[in-house]
Amino acid sequence: MIRTELKRGTAELAILSVLEQQPLHGYEISRRIEQDSAGALRFTLAALYPLLYRMENRGWVRGEWGTSDNGRRRRCYKLLPRGRKMLAPLRAEWADLFRAMRRVAKVNHA
Amino acid sequence: MLDWLACVNHRLGTLPLSEAEALQVREELAAHLEDTYLSLRAQGVPESEAVRLTCDQVSSWQELRRDILSAKSEAFMQNRVSQLWIPGLVTLFSAYALLALMQFAGLRVMAFHPGEPRGIVLYFPWMLSLPLIGAIGAYLSRRAQATGWRVYLAASLPALALGVLFLLIFPLAFVIDPQVSMSIKGTALAAAMVNWVILPGFALCLGVALQSLRKMRVPRS
Repeated sequence: MIRTELKRGTAELAILSVLEQQPLHGYEISRRIEQDSAGALRFTLAALYPLLYRMENRGWVRGEWGTSDNGRRRRCYKLLPRGRKMLAPLRAEWADLFRAMRRVAKVNHA
Repeated sequence: MLDWLACVNHRLGTLPLSEAEALQVREELAAHLEDTYLSLRAQGVPESEAVRLTCDQVSSWQELRRDILSAKSEAFMQNRVSQLWIPGLVTLFSAYALLALMQFAGLRVMAFHPGEPRGIVLYFPWMLSLPLIGAIGAYLSRRAQATGWRVYLAASLPALALGVLFLLIFPLAFVIDPQVSMSIKGTALAAAMVNWVILPGFALCLGVALQSLRKMRVPRS
């Protein structure tokens, strides 16, 4: 399990990446991240929503109320062009970090 | 099944946000809890355990409340800068830079009762340019998603700034010129207010109104 401090830094990239594929509501975002990371990254409600609201304020994502597949009213988040623009630098930043960690801590790529 | 909205309302307490925004936050959190609970139940988790695990999503509601408000206030600050201060400062500097240029170029003024406390000096060409400056301020403010009073406030900042300045300076007149009567000081203040605050403010707001009309006529693509 990845430590909390490191997870916090991955949160924005994880959310933007799953929204790049399709618009999702909050619960689906947390489920998708958990599934795609094989359970290594878990977003509780308390961690997710303040972050989503921040990203919405920055114009990276936009939440809109709609009806989900099961007929329930849910607020769906969509990636905006500004958020899409953030993805490349964030990915590059993380790639640099992983490269550095591999060199320094002799961490092998899985 | 638990009423998750009532649960969120009870635990989150009041949120100092607009009614619509607070309701939206509550409904969204309740929807997340409901989805978590239903998913656990679908996996065969017993009801009481599913409720417990769902509630474990939030270890501290006070902390969550604080984090949500912090995220929302970040937006409030950003909005205030882009919707109010930037358009306001643009109108302020452009209005007074234009006045300075006109004065430098020897602008003719229209004076009523010159030299008297009730004297009003109208920079007529400048006054005519103010609706355009107000419209630019309104455009910048609206482009940052501002609505209502905030647009008018941003566009009329040049007049409002002088109004505040006059009101701050007025008490100093009692210290500097104690021999001058209150009625003369009051008349001078009223004349300055009409000359530099009310008339320019009206012209700037006229620009906002004209920009609103134009916005209504131009359909959004």
